[in-house]
Amino acid sequence: MEKKNNAIFQRILENRNKVLTIVFLALIMVIVGNLKPWFGSYWVRVFNTCCIYSMVTMSMNLVNGCTGIFTMGSPGFMCIGAYTTAILTLTPEVKDAVYYLSPIAPWLRELNTSFPVALLLGGLFAAIAAFIIGFPVLRLSGDYLSIATMAFSEIARVIMLNAQSITNGPIGITKIKNHVTVWVAFMALVSVYVLLRLLMRSTYGRALKAVRDDPVAAEAIGIPLFRTKMTSFIISGFIAGIAGGLLASLVGTIDANQFVYSYVNQFLLMMILGGNGSMTGSILGSFVITTALEVFRFMDEPIDFGFWKYPGIGGMRMVLFSISLMLIVLFWEHGIMGSNEFSWDRIIERVKKLVSSIRGLFKRKEEQA
Amino acid sequence: MNVLETRHVTMRFGGLTAVDDLNIVIEEGEIVSLIGPNGAGKTTCFNVITGIYQPTEGEVFFYGEKLNGKRPDQVASIGISRTFQNIRLFKTMTVLENVLCATHFNRHSGLFSNILHLPNALKEEGLNRDKALKILDEVGLAQYADWKATSLPYGLQRRLEIARALVSEPKLLLLDEPAAGMNPKESDELADFIFEIKDKFHITVFLIEHHMKLVMKISDRIYVTQYGKTIAMGTPEEIRNNPLVIQAYLGEEG
Ligand SMILES: Nc1ncnc2c1ncn2[C@@H]1O[C@H](COP(=O)(O)OP(=O)(O)OP(=O)(O)O)[C@@H](O)[C@H]1O
Ligand SMILES: [Mg+2]
Repeated sequence: MEKKNNAIFQRILENRNKVLTIVFLALIMVIVGNLKPWFGSYWVRVFNTCCIYSMVTMSMNLVNGCTGIFTMGSPGFMCIGAYTTAILTLTPEVKDAVYYLSPIAPWLRELNTSFPVALLLGGLFAAIAAFIIGFPVLRLSGDYLSIATMAFSEIARVIMLNAQSITNGPIGITKIKNHVTVWVAFMALVSVYVLLRLLMRSTYGRALKAVRDDPVAAEAIGIPLFRTKMTSFIISGFIAGIAGGLLASLVGTIDANQFVYSYVNQFLLMMILGGNGSMTGSILGSFVITTALEVFRFMDEPIDFGFWKYPGIGGMRMVLFSISLMLIVLFWEHGIMGSNEFSWDRIIERVKKLVSSIRGLFKRKEEQA
Repeated sequence: MNVLETRHVTMRFGGLTAVDDLNIVIEEGEIVSLIGPNGAGKTTCFNVITGIYQPTEGEVFFYGEKLNGKRPDQVASIGISRTFQNIRLFKTMTVLENVLCATHFNRHSGLFSNILHLPNALKEEGLNRDKALKILDEVGLAQYADWKATSLPYGLQRRLEIARALVSEPKLLLLDEPAAGMNPKESDELADFIFEIKDKFHITVFLIEHHMKLVMKISDRIYVTQYGKTIAMGTPEEIRNNPLVIQAYLGEEG
């Protein structure tokens, strides 16, 4: 009997990481499943937003962190995905009500798809946009490249603002049905994370890293620079497009000005806080900052300290946000994860170190006594 | 059959002529050296062959195929590998991953099979891994496979760069000052190593080198350049006794 127990224990030890992952996932799923009863619908919404922002941050990390090309086009791709999903999921009757000032183009009015199809098409259009702008933009380098991608975001926004019969112009689109349940957001996040991790472990992921580490050497061993950058850029655009679609559905209304180019700063901060090149870090960064921005909402409102009445300055939390970006870049450039990914081995090593250092502390006390 | 041939290759940067009317012919199985004082245009010559620069004038042929207009990655994929004067390794990657990167262009599985780790991609990855480990074993780096590439000592980094260049089974290997920074013993070992890989991989070697002892020992023929111009060509014996070379190159050092 004892022998048998030992054997089972041995098997568990051998598959320690797998077992830990299953336990961890089960735990997370229990939390996700009970998010509403435990925390209420306000925090459910925050959680969904965190998931969506994590996707955007990861998509940005794929290009900026993993491939080493500093792009800032996420708002543009999100914008394309958001409008596609919004327009395709509204029924013709609702469209008539939403486009009250000037009617929607007749061919668009009849177009109506299910939510998943709309999402995928949104991602696809964003990917096509990435492909098209990639040709001129990815041939640039350094600052010029960042500026060009930022310009793309602005162009996308201005087009949406003015294509009245398609996008309803400055009024924006309302009455978008919310399909983003906790599970939809969570599963979208997990799929993107898993796919990107798998990508980065494959020969394609190594090619991206090679281009980042040393483009000259990469080219000299047969890795085509432009094509490799393009692959990364298109995948990134696709993911950002899907995230945009999810966001449109979650929020219920969209308007082009929401996707102003400076929107990208937020994802930049999440990426850097999490760690440049780490997908796990991107998720952590997004959750920390999105939650912090919610928690710090009180800073925009008046507070009575008793001895001093803080009048509540609108946008105060954004000031805090910008300062923290500066501080992180200055003093903590590797972020939470550096360029490492989640690994049980590393966590266990850390815990062991912690335990032994605590033990050491106690031992010293004993010796002194 | 001529492995490499440059016909009247000239490379100008603005007013500076770095390579001037270069005519090199290298035959299969040879070890040929290119020597010359600093700034003679040797590295520029490699950069023109490998497509980093397009020559201002002249043509480059590889097994009769014209290389003009080809990008570096295209040149690499038809069988020319190189190393760099200042070592260029992928610094965030392990030794094994560095070598694996050079198998990327030769893949048969597509993006989706690789992302989804489908059987064909996994099989190919496995084969490439075996190949990379075998090369690492042959250059004596097998025990360092999981080390960060940049944590290797200098001499081994050079070997790793050569291993990375070899894994794609090139026909021509260009080595830019492989003995730079090595002591006499290490550079002797390097000479043996170059002979060894030449026989093992059936490659032709074209190298730039300053260590005269090494050059004289391993070269079948030597080209000497100065200010971009070829001033002499011949066997080590001929070069050693060429008055022009003694004056231009050896004289300067001694
Ligand atoms: N991209 C470039 N732009 C302008 N000038 C260049 C460029 N590349 C090389 N040169 C110049 O061309 C000349 C030859 O340089 P090259 O690097 O080929 O010399 P080298 O023979 O390899 O010298 P060394 O022995 O120091 O490595 C030098 O004067 C160098 O400054
Ligand atoms: Mg040189």
